[in-house]
This record gives sequence, C-alpha cells and structure tokens, in this order.
Amino acid sequence: RPRSEPPFCPPGPGGVAVPRAGLKKYVLPPDYSGITFPERTKLKFMDKVPAVPKVRREPRRLRDIRGPSREATDFTQGQYGILALGGGYLHWGHFEMIRLTIGRNMDPKTMFAIWRVPAPSKPVTRKSLGHRMGGGKGPIDHYVTAVKSGRLVVEIGGRCEFGEVKPFLTQVARKLPFPAVPVSRDSLQQMQREEEEKRLNNQNPWTFERIVTANMLGMRKYLSPYDLQLKGRYWGKFFLKHRV
Amino acid sequence: LPFPRVPALSAARVPLSAGWLPALQFVRRGSKAVTRHWKAMHFQRQKLMAVTEYLAPRPAVPPRCLARRRETLEEDNGYAQLLRRQVEEVFRDNRMIAICQFNSMPGEDVVLMRHYLRKHNIEVKFVLNEIVRPVLSQSKYKNLLPLFVARNILLVSREAKAKEMLRVLRGVPQINLLGACIDDTILSKQGVENFAKLPLLETVQGQTVGALTLLPSQTSSLLQRGSAHLTALLDQHIHRLQAGETGSPAEPAPAQSSGAQ
Repeated sequence: RPRSEPPFCPPGPGGVAVPRAGLKKYVLPPDYSGITFPERTKLKFMDKVPAVPKVRREPRRLRDIRGPSREATDFTQGQYGILALGGGYLHWGHFEMIRLTIGRNMDPKTMFAIWRVPAPSKPVTRKSLGHRMGGGKGPIDHYVTAVKSGRLVVEIGGRCEFGEVKPFLTQVARKLPFPAVPVSRDSLQQMQREEEEKRLNNQNPWTFERIVTANMLGMRKYLSPYDLQLKGRYWGKFFLKHRV
Repeated sequence: LPFPRVPALSAARVPLSAGWLPALQFVRRGSKAVTRHWKAMHFQRQKLMAVTEYLAPRPAVPPRCLARRRETLEEDNGYAQLLRRQVEEVFRDNRMIAICQFNSMPGEDVVLMRHYLRKHNIEVKFVLNEIVRPVLSQSKYKNLLPLFVARNILLVSREAKAKEMLRVLRGVPQINLLGACIDDTILSKQGVENFAKLPLLETVQGQTVGALTLLPSQTSSLLQRGSAHLTALLDQHIHRLQAGETGSPAEPAPAQSSGAQ
C-alpha cells in the first residue's frame, strides 16, 4: 500500500496529488559536550624564517612530497579540516592566506582552529634571474613546509556544523598549491571505507600491486622500486584518486 | 648544444667482483622522479596502468530493479507512540466513532461546532493518518482503513446520539460524514441516517416487552371465554323470555339451570 507513506499519494482523477506534511519530527540539538577548546582559538602566526635560520644549503630532497603521508592523517582536537590530496610545498604566503581567511570567517568565541603542519623550515634556494648555469648553488630564497597526500593542513572545531565551516574551507582549499578538500570526521571515515570497499570488490583480477610484487612480464624494468609501496596510486607528487 | 651529455649507464655492465652483477640498472636521463608537471609515463607503464584499472561490480540484476529495503524506518519517537496510544484508547472507550471529511473551516466555526457537539457529549478529535493507519491495520477495525485518507476528524461519544450529531453536521457544510463505527458495527452514511431514524433503545425495549407480554395477558381471558360466552347467551335468553312471557314459572327454570352450571 503506497498510502501508508506520507510523501507518496496516488493521484486522484484530477491529476497529481500534492503531498501533505505528516507528523513533525523534533530533532534534538547537536551535542557539543566532549569538545575542549585550546587556549588560543585563532590560528597562530607562522614565521617566514625559522628562529635559527639555516646556514648550510640543503639538497632538494623531493621525496618529502612523494607518496602517502605518515603523520597528521587523522583528527586530534577538531571536527573538520582540510585534507591534502596531493603533495606540495607550503610557503609563508600560503600560511598567511590560510590564517587570515579562516580568522576572518570563523567566530573565535564558538570555534577554534589549529595548525597540523609545522612552520616552514626547509630552505629553498634560488639563483638570480638571467644568469647562466653554473657558479655554485644559489643562496637561500625562502623556507617551505613539505606536505604529502593524505595529510591534514588545519583543523577546525567547536560548536559549529560542517555546513557552516565548509564554504570558507573550500575557499582556502582551492587556493592551496595541491588539490585539497574540506573534510569532517565522518566524511573522512566514509572516504576510507569507500576506498577499502573499492579495493575489495574490484572485479579486475590484475592489480598493480600483484603485478609489481610478482614482477610479471618484467614490468619492474619500467617501474621504480618505490612503486612497490606506492602501488600505482601515486605518480610523482600527484595522488591518483580514481585508481584502486 | 650547451648542456653536457651525461653518458647513459643503462647499458654498462660493471662487475665489481668476479661473478657479481647488480640486479638493477638505473636510468639517468630525463627529469627526476618527482616533478612539478605531470611526468610522461613510459609506454609500458601506461599499458600497465590501463590493464590494472578498477572494474566496478555489475550484478546480474541491477539494484534499482530489486525492492528497496527500508532499514531506517525504526525511528519511533515517543510522541508518535503517545499519539498511537491515544488512538487505541479512543477506539476502546467510545461506543460511537464517526469519521468525517474535514475541509477548511473558519476558526470560529470550528469552535462553535465543537461547542454544540460537546453539549451532546460528543468530542471532536483531529487525527493524523500516518498514526491511525498502522494502529487500525493491527486491530479489528481493518475495514475502516479506506476511510482514513486526506484530512479527517473523529467524532467520538460514549452514547450513540446519531440524531443530534447529524443535526449539527447538517448545519456545517464543510464537514461530510464518511462512515461510523457504532457498537462495533461499521455503518455507512446511509446506515447512520437509518440508525438515527430508529427510536430510542428504551422505547424499543418497552415495545418488545409489551409485544412479548401481549399473549400471556390474553391467556386468562381466553380461558374464561367459553364460560363468559355461555353466561352472555343465557342472560340474553332470560331477557328474551322475560320480554316474551309474563308468567313466573319461566324464571326459576333458567335460574336453576344457570345455578347448576
């Protein structure tokens, strides 16, 4: 009987019937009991240059961008955050943009925000413009922080809903040098669950991992030894979300 | 060309000791592993990526053809339970329950109608179909289910005063009687009108008692009818004889015969 469900009314002889409202369902307000606010609710100011600037120029070491992140992959204090879906370097301009945008849009009395990335500490050298190659390594130009895919950049928490926080988090996420999305605790769990389900119900009997670990057809000649860990989901600094 | 050519080491074989060959030979041409741009993949790698793509499961019957399982229908809040309990009470306590269609009425008219009905001890109850329908489908009033469609009200009462109810409802054009359940009997609109035309139960009972006691009351007169008839005949005979004859010997003879009887 379709009649027992309030939104579905079979149309009478005149045409489509307009559904009526049924019993009002009173929704309880959200429970913000288990939330502890840090001392300062706004984002801390990050220095352009660390307190002890580095004297020795460091090699480029791009492997700090490659692959999945091992730290700051899960929430600590807050409920919502920005998840990086690719690798990249954040410099002081990015930090200021994040700090000011979030500080402008959030209410410091009811919400708090914390950094999940350290201050820039990796020196990046740059040679002056218009010179030929050679003449040694250039001087230190600025400092950056390396971010790998799957890492949280900032965390927001407090007495707020995801819908309130999402607009300005998407605004910030669009401006970052790597692809990023705003996430909540639930949505992150959902993403991880979906990934796992995809991995389990894949109908393709040939997976990258299987072919690489068994070195089928001698494919390891064309692949990197790191592909054993990266399993075809990462290529350089990019994270291939559609791959299983 | 200004840049120095780095000799490719891919083809060099450098045995460090007798009988030792490195397992992997690194290629040192082109860009590094991690680049800002999307590095072009080796064709073999492209083929491998194409072969190992994700294939979504395709069941034989698509899920949209199967019946949907409503798992999240168990959100029974206490308010709905309370309303259901009230409906059950109403159906248990009242003798007469009439279901009427309720169209939009001005507020004061609703109040007036409720006032007139209250005088005859009839209460007006507004019910929600989504609560009443499950309650009725599990009780014995299953045949009332087709009536609970669109906006309706219940007129409930402990006594079955159908005549007064119909009189009030005739004055209110926006309320249409659909049906009623009086003393666990389902009646249509016509049935309610017929029920209203019936006399009161007491009068009907009195009539039944009178009809039943009619025959026993006639028993004594029936039994005495023969002797009464004979007495009447003899009296008539006496009168005729008295009127016809003037002599006294006719008087003692009928008096003796009537005494002997």
